[in-house]
Amino acid sequence: MKIVRFFAGAAALAVAASLSACGGSDDKGSGDGKGDGGRTTLDVWLMRDSVSEEFQTQFEKDFEKQHPKIDVKIQIQEWNGIGQKITAALASNDAPDVIEVGNTQVAQYAASGGVKDLSDKVSQLGGSDWIPGLAEPGKVDGKQYGIPYYAANRVVIYRTDLYEKAGIKQPPTTREEWLAATRKLNTGKQQGIYLPGQNWYTLAGFIWDEGGDLAVKEGDTWKGALDTPEALAGMEFYKELQSLGKGPKDSDEAEPPQVEVVAKGDVAQVIAVPGGAKLIEEANPELKGKLGFFPIPGKTADKPGAVFTGGSDLIIPEASGNPDEAYAFIKALAGDDAQKKLATAMSYVPNKKSLASVLASDPGASAMATGATNGRATPNSPEWAAVEANNPIKEFMTQVLTGADPKKAGADATEAVSKALGG
Amino acid sequence: MNLRSLVRRLPLNLAAVAVFVVTIFPVYWMASTAFKPAGDINADTPVFVPTRLTLEHFRTAVAADGFATFWRNSLLVTATAVLLALVIALGSAFAVARLRFRGKRGFVLMVFIAQMAPWEAMLIPVYIIARDTGLLDRLAMLTLLYFIITLPFTIITLRGFLAAVPVELEEAAQVDGCTRLSAFRRVTFPLLAPGLLATSLFGFITAWNEFAFANMLIVKNQDDRTLPVWLSSFSNTFGTDWGATMAASTLFALPVLILFLVLQRRVTTGFVSGSVKG
Amino acid sequence: MALHTAPRETRDPGQELRRPAAPGRRRSAVLWPYLLIAPTVLGVAFLLLYPLLRNLQLSFQSFGMGELIRGGAEFVGLDNYRELLGGGEFWDVVVRTLVWTVVNVVLIVGLATLVALMLQRLGRTLRVLVMSALALAWATPILAATTVFQWLFASRLGVVNWVLVQLGFDSYEGYSWFADGTATFTILVILVVWQSVPFAAITLYSALTTVPAEIYESARLDGAGEWRMFRSLTVPILRPIFGLVLCLEVIWVFKCFAQIWVVSEGGPNDATTTLPVYAYQIAISLHHYDLQAASSTITVLLLGVILFVYLRQLFRQEGEL
Repeated sequence: MKIVRFFAGAAALAVAASLSACGGSDDKGSGDGKGDGGRTTLDVWLMRDSVSEEFQTQFEKDFEKQHPKIDVKIQIQEWNGIGQKITAALASNDAPDVIEVGNTQVAQYAASGGVKDLSDKVSQLGGSDWIPGLAEPGKVDGKQYGIPYYAANRVVIYRTDLYEKAGIKQPPTTREEWLAATRKLNTGKQQGIYLPGQNWYTLAGFIWDEGGDLAVKEGDTWKGALDTPEALAGMEFYKELQSLGKGPKDSDEAEPPQVEVVAKGDVAQVIAVPGGAKLIEEANPELKGKLGFFPIPGKTADKPGAVFTGGSDLIIPEASGNPDEAYAFIKALAGDDAQKKLATAMSYVPNKKSLASVLASDPGASAMATGATNGRATPNSPEWAAVEANNPIKEFMTQVLTGADPKKAGADATEAVSKALGG
Repeated sequence: MNLRSLVRRLPLNLAAVAVFVVTIFPVYWMASTAFKPAGDINADTPVFVPTRLTLEHFRTAVAADGFATFWRNSLLVTATAVLLALVIALGSAFAVARLRFRGKRGFVLMVFIAQMAPWEAMLIPVYIIARDTGLLDRLAMLTLLYFIITLPFTIITLRGFLAAVPVELEEAAQVDGCTRLSAFRRVTFPLLAPGLLATSLFGFITAWNEFAFANMLIVKNQDDRTLPVWLSSFSNTFGTDWGATMAASTLFALPVLILFLVLQRRVTTGFVSGSVKG
Repeated sequence: MALHTAPRETRDPGQELRRPAAPGRRRSAVLWPYLLIAPTVLGVAFLLLYPLLRNLQLSFQSFGMGELIRGGAEFVGLDNYRELLGGGEFWDVVVRTLVWTVVNVVLIVGLATLVALMLQRLGRTLRVLVMSALALAWATPILAATTVFQWLFASRLGVVNWVLVQLGFDSYEGYSWFADGTATFTILVILVVWQSVPFAAITLYSALTTVPAEIYESARLDGAGEWRMFRSLTVPILRPIFGLVLCLEVIWVFKCFAQIWVVSEGGPNDATTTLPVYAYQIAISLHHYDLQAASSTITVLLLGVILFVYLRQLFRQEGEL
């Protein structure tokens, strides 16, 4: 008989333990999010490395000073697996209040119905002045769901001292010059360029230069386009460039973080957003003043290479418990004051055209601005995020770089992209 | 031992050494990388015996956000689930191994089929159910899931252990005036203890490892994340800092390794007596 | 839900028992087994059967990201199954899963048997050493082990590449294992075999030790050779436990997911996409929850068919008890 009591006791104990576990999480900001002293806890998801810690802390402090009733709780998310995370959040009954979403992914979430329509706030936020690369993807069927946050495009960051040593006077302005310079720089231990095998945004630029695209719309369906002669020509150039350094063929710029590789020295050039230079200098102060910028060269000198306009939008989930506070937060972060600070701190393109002047004295930003004149976006399909989630383009690149038949690899990737886009 | 038998045993012993090396090396490499200074890790020729030991990688790992919280969460969820599974499984295993009843075959079959459930593929229905019952973002939900994931296997093994304890012992005790329950408690339970420990170890490993649900069902309350999720985001963040990644892996493996070292004797004896008749 | 019901059910038999009346006793003797299995049945019903049924329901609906977020989904009959079974890709995955399972299980059970037989013949010191190594390998959590294998096979600074270069295979200098389908598949097999052999070997060895040494001794005195003893003593002892180990390994290897996902996410070029990985891909990356549901329903059926023989035998055995 005692044993039955023991069973029941143990089971009750176990249940009590797990219940107390959820009791414990109850007061940690779920539910209506009323924190200590009647303050509302505002859950904000920002992406890893999108802003510096310094900017984030300062902004949070300023915002809480102006809104004493709001307690901002910023959680940093990893890019890897973010699609699943955001889907799970949007589908829940108690979502975070503000989420930063990549501009290539925002359309999908907007179309799903889990994101608040903010069309009536557009004029209040000065929406007519937004840069289209961020405003357009955030818009579905004429309604604005995503609020532009920041943008950036890639440039070439180069070591001025190594250029000088190699006797190269001018940064290259055409592909031919670029290859020649890089070949010259690629000697012994020194890498001409550090280009990891799966930097697919860069490849996209090369393909656009050739007149191709990653995917094309035929009638109502999207189809991959990586087996076209244009795409293969872009890939060929990528391969040639990639071979002028020791970048790993099977990973992207995040793994290992390329700024750290460059900071170790022995790398003459790298393709990154201008803000990368600050991170390189931070990691290795000896390189301070030795980094220059130029736009990615195009096929001819009169037009810079096409670049992908990357960036992020901010969204409020329908399931947010504090939409008003969330809007106040977005208004502040997308507002002129914060945008100016963010642009200077990170060398980002601010979300409004009229604010671009803050970057005038920044050499990285001016190289970026030149490139931006030929800025492009990923194919405008709401399903595009599905392609990135399990990126067949990266696989295509690794295949070609490790010696596979480009046509075959291109055909495989094309099929995978078509499938992901629902074609 | 004379020379002839030594020579005769040589291939066998060599094979044993080979098995030992192959089996232990990954574990050794994990631990040694975690304790090695960065210079050794990045040496072009691998350093098999560290030149000196350092704790810097462990410091990096522990200093990462919320390590202690996630550790505690994992331990709480895992231990509760395993305990619950043991208690419930003991009842079921007893019924199956000792009692006659209609529907027993069906029950055993159900347990075996439950063991086959493709859990990862049921992520979405489980997510929907958790959301609709208000159990999303709750460690209790994870606890329940780990309980049911480990339950079938716990029943199967416990039943094996129980079957190995002779019924006659219990019956003799009953003849001596014990009730069935107290016979079970006084005679069978002590004999079963090693089996219980061995089984709990299985459950512990399974629950401690679980990643997919932990990643999907804890959405907003990120303080409620568990170690596997932490480990995966850790290797994302630190990428090729192998020292820190290995230190994190070591810390993750530690509780199970300790449990194993403590329980190993009992586990092996437990198997000897138990699993044979499974 | 089940959380609240489970302990109450366990408590019930106690109350039943405490009732002293004689007629109740007989009734409770009949009820006992059912009360004991009730928590398990309830748990399985709520936490396994119910999700499975929901899964089945999803597989007949058109259910994507929008439906997940907004709710409401329309029934489309067998469309999902048609789409899944009609494409060649699914069958590639099925075949790959079978190959994956067979290769792994054969290696695991074969190696484990050899190790168990070896353990039986080893001296004490070596046996303890090998047993401890096996226990350590077994205890290493899947994610930790997977990370370690990534490190062992890393293209830069990886030990495996270094060893191969030392052995004279210069082409492995900086070789990227995870860029090649066959190489990645092989590494995953090595990883899973390394993780699974300890359990199987220790279990089989434990089974072997249940035979008292005297039996072997007397058989030897009767003039039985090693092979004869293996056939007429060892094999019969091992048979039942062999069946259990085989069955469990088939299930575990077939369902194996975390290792594959962490190492390759099913790539490169789908070379390591087995059924569980495939289902996860279409759900998480493509948001086709309906197709995923259909695929996992088929997975369950497939596993059932593979293990049918075993389950039938089990069912018969239970009848004899």
